[in-house]
Amino acid sequence: MSTTTWFELSAARDTLTPETERDRRRRRILVLCAPFLVLAAVAAFVPLATMIRMSVSADRFANVGFSVSAWRTLATDPLYRRVAVNTLWFAAATSAVSVTLGVAVSHAFAKYSLPFERVLVSVVSFPIALPGIVVAFMVVALLGRQGLVTNAVAFFSGQGPIDLATATTVTGLFVGYVYSLLPRATMVLRGTYAEVNTDAEQAARALGADPLRTFYYVTLPEIRPGIVAASLLTFRTALAIFGTVLVLQGLNVATLQISQVLSVGYESQIAASIGLVYFAFILAVTFVGLRYTEADVIRR
Amino acid sequence: MVTVELDDIRKTYGDETAVEALDLTVADGEILGVVGPSGCGKTTTLRTIAGFETPTAGRVRFADEDVTHVSPERRNVGLVFQSYALFDNMSVLANVAFGPKMQGVEKAERRDRAVELLELLDIAELADRAPETLSGGQQQRVGLARALAIEPNILLLDEPMTGLDAKLKDRLRREIGSLLDELGVTALYVTHDQEEAMAMCDRIAVLNDGRLEQVGTPREIYESPANEFVAGFVGSANLLDAQLDDGTVDLGFTRLHAVTDDTSGDATVVVRPDDIAVGSGSIPVTIREYQYLGETTSAVGELPDGQQLRLRLNGTAEETTVGTTVSVAIDPDGVAVVDTA
Amino acid sequence: MTTLRTPQSLGKAAITLVTGLVLAVLVVPIAVTFVSSFAQSATGVVPTGFVTAEHWRTALGLTDVGARRGIGSGLWFSVLLATGGMFVNLVVGVPIAYALTRYEFRGREWLNTLAVLPLVPGIILGIAFLRTYPDNAGTAFGLVVGYALLKSPYMVLTVQSAFQSMDLRRLEESARSLGASWPRTFVTVIVPNARGGILAGSIITWTLAAAEFNFTYMVYTRGPRPFSLFLYENISRAPFLQSAAAISIYFCLVVAAILVLQTVGRHGFTTT
Repeated sequence: MSTTTWFELSAARDTLTPETERDRRRRRILVLCAPFLVLAAVAAFVPLATMIRMSVSADRFANVGFSVSAWRTLATDPLYRRVAVNTLWFAAATSAVSVTLGVAVSHAFAKYSLPFERVLVSVVSFPIALPGIVVAFMVVALLGRQGLVTNAVAFFSGQGPIDLATATTVTGLFVGYVYSLLPRATMVLRGTYAEVNTDAEQAARALGADPLRTFYYVTLPEIRPGIVAASLLTFRTALAIFGTVLVLQGLNVATLQISQVLSVGYESQIAASIGLVYFAFILAVTFVGLRYTEADVIRR
Repeated sequence: MVTVELDDIRKTYGDETAVEALDLTVADGEILGVVGPSGCGKTTTLRTIAGFETPTAGRVRFADEDVTHVSPERRNVGLVFQSYALFDNMSVLANVAFGPKMQGVEKAERRDRAVELLELLDIAELADRAPETLSGGQQQRVGLARALAIEPNILLLDEPMTGLDAKLKDRLRREIGSLLDELGVTALYVTHDQEEAMAMCDRIAVLNDGRLEQVGTPREIYESPANEFVAGFVGSANLLDAQLDDGTVDLGFTRLHAVTDDTSGDATVVVRPDDIAVGSGSIPVTIREYQYLGETTSAVGELPDGQQLRLRLNGTAEETTVGTTVSVAIDPDGVAVVDTA
Repeated sequence: MTTLRTPQSLGKAAITLVTGLVLAVLVVPIAVTFVSSFAQSATGVVPTGFVTAEHWRTALGLTDVGARRGIGSGLWFSVLLATGGMFVNLVVGVPIAYALTRYEFRGREWLNTLAVLPLVPGIILGIAFLRTYPDNAGTAFGLVVGYALLKSPYMVLTVQSAFQSMDLRRLEESARSLGASWPRTFVTVIVPNARGGILAGSIITWTLAAAEFNFTYMVYTRGPRPFSLFLYENISRAPFLQSAAAISIYFCLVVAAILVLQTVGRHGFTTT
C-alpha cells in the first residue's frame, strides 16, 4: 500500500472516530456542510451536468447520440450574436443607471434627515420581493395603455393613450429592469454608507472642501467597494431577469430567446447551450468581480 | 479540585510553533497566573487544558489521569472569558444552572445551587434578568458563577478583567481573589497585565515566544527574575552590565557587596527603581527626562558611564529639572544577577 | 429675508429631488395597482367608481366567471410549496451558515461563494430539471427542491449575518466546557441565540418562493397551478383591473412579511 493511500485512509478514519479536537472539528464541519452539499448535488450539479449532455444530444426529447449542431448554430447564426449584444448592453446600461441612482438615494438616506425614514426604507426594499412578472405589471401601470403616466400625458397633450404607451418598448423594459435593480443596489450601498467615516468627511469640510469635493475626495473612495459590489450584483441580477421580459418583450435578450426556442419547435439542445454559456458567463463575472472587490478591500 | 499537569507540551499550527517544551503544574487549590506578551502562547496553554486544542506532542493530566484526548465537555473545567459569553437566550439563573443541567442534576437541586452561587457573588437579585441588560462587572460575576456551578476540576480565566474600568477592576480583583481562596479553587489565570497577576495569583508563570521563562511566587519573579526577559516584563527594571567577583558586583561606577553565589566574570544584573535611593548616595546621576505621576515621579537619568537608569524621585520633584544632577545609592539587597557570560 | 442659494444647498436639493423621484417611481405603481383593484373603471388618468370588491372576488375565485379560473387551490398549493422550500432551507442553510461563520477550513471561500450567491438563474435551472428529472420536475417534489436551491442564498446570508454578530467561538466553548456535547450546544445555545436571523431568513425565503416564477414557468406541466402562474395568466391575459386585484393579493403577503420582519428587528427584504 502506498504512503498516500495509507495517509488518506488514516485521515478518513480520524474523521469518523476522532481522537483530537482538530479531527472532531473536521467531522463537525463535514456534518454541517453535508445537507447543503446534498441539495447542491441534487438540484444544481447533477442538473447542470445533464444540461451539458443535453446540449450535444442528437434528439430533442432525450439525451441520445451526439451532435454539436446546437453549438454550431450558436456560434454562426447572426441571430445569437444579436441576442448576446442585446443582453450585455442592456444589463450593463440598466446596472449603471441603477447604481448611480442608488448612490444618490443612499446618500440622501445617510446624510439628510428625511421624513418617515423607516417607511421610506421599506418602500425602497419592497420591490426586492416582487417577481419579474409583477415588476412588468408595475411598468404597465405607469407606462401601459391604461397607465398613469401615459394617461396623464395624453390628457395634457391631447394625443391618444394607445400611441403614447411605452410599456412594451425598450424604454418600458428599461424602466422595468431599473425597478428591479435599483432597490438591490440601494440596499448594498446603504450598508456601505453606514460604514463611511463621518469624522473624515467633517475634517475635510473643516479644511475648506465644499460638499462636492468632500464627496469626490473622501466619500467616494470610501464607498467604492460598495459601488463595485452593487454593480456586480445588479449586473448579475439583470442577466437573470426573465419574467419582466416575457411580459413586456421589448428586446430579445438571452432568457427570452431560451424560452422562445423551447416554445417554438422545442429546440432543447439550443436552449441548453444558451443556458450553459449563460451560466458560465455569470460564474465568470462573479469570480472576476469577487477578486476585484477583495483586492479593493485589501487595498483600503 | 485537582492538580493539573502539563507534561512537555508542544503545539504547532503548520510551520508555526505556539508552545514548545512546556512543563507546568497547577497544584490543587492554587491560583497560577500565566503572563506574557500577546502571542506568547498563554491562550494556547489555557485552551490545551480546556481541551479545545489537542497538543501536537505531550500529555495533559488531571490528578494523574491522562486527559490529552478527552473532549472538552468531559473534562469538567470552568471557563471565564473576557467577553463573558453569556447565553442571551437564557436568564441569569438559567445560565448558572446550565452546567448542572448538562451534568444531569435534577431541577430543584440545580436551582438551589445556582441561587447559592449568585448569593455568594452578591448578585442574587439579578437571577431573573436577561444577561444583556447587565453591566460588564455584573456579567463577569454571572460568568464566574456559571463556571463555578459545575464544581470544576480547574477554573480557567482568560483575561477576565480586561475591558472593565480601573476602579471596578480593582474591586473585583480583591473580591474574586478572596472568593477563590475561600473556595479553594484550582485556577489558571491568563492575563497580559502582570500587576493583576501579582495581586491575584499564588504563583506566576512567565511565557515568552511559546516557552516558559520562569515560574515562581510573585516575590520570586519580581526579586529574582531568571533572565532579562522576566526582569523587563514584570515591573520596571534597569539592566546593567557588571563584573562579578566572589560576592562583589562591580558596576564600573560603583562596587556593591551583594549576595551572589561565587561565580565570577561578566554578567547582567537587574536593579529595580525601588531599590535606588535618591539623595543619599555617592553615584552622580544626571536627570534626562521625568514624568510627574502624582503619587510618584518617574525619571530616567544618565550614569557617569553613559548607561541609562530608571529611578523614582519621591518627594524631590520640585527641585529637580532636566539637567539636574542628583546623587543616588543602590541597595545591594535589591541587585539580582540575571545573566552570566 | 432672502435665502442665498449656495452650491451646497443646490446639490442637496438635486439629490433630494432625485431621491424623491426614484421613490415615487417605486411606490406610485404599487399604489395605483392596489387602489385600482377596488375601482370599477380604469380609463382616464385616474381610476374611477369606488369602492367595488368585484375584482378581488374574481381573483380570489369567489365568483364564477366563465372559463377564467380564480386563484382556487393554487394559492394553497403554493403556500405548501413555499413552506416545504423554507423547511429544506432551514435544514440546509442554518448549518452551513454556522460552518462558514464559525470555522476556518480549506475551500471555505469557494463554499461561501456557492452558498450565498444565486449562481443559477431560475429559467436555466428549469431546463436542466426538465431533462434530469423528467417525471418529477413539475411535481411538488421538483418544485420544492428547486425553490430550496434558488432561495437558499437568502437564508444563508440572513442567518450568517445573525451569527456574525455573536461571539460564536466563545459561546460554543462556554457551553461545551459546561458539559454540553457539541450537537447539544448547537441546538440549545447557538440556534436559540440566532433565532431572530433564522426567523427573518425563513420569512424571506418563504415569501420569495411563494411567488417564484422563472423556474416554475419552465417546469410546470399539469396539476394544481402555482400562485406565480396564476399571477402570470392574469398579467398577460386578464383585464387591467382584475390583474391589479390578483397582484394586490401578493402585495398583502409581502406587507405582512415586512411587518413581521420589522418586529424581529429587520428593516425589510435584504438580498445579495
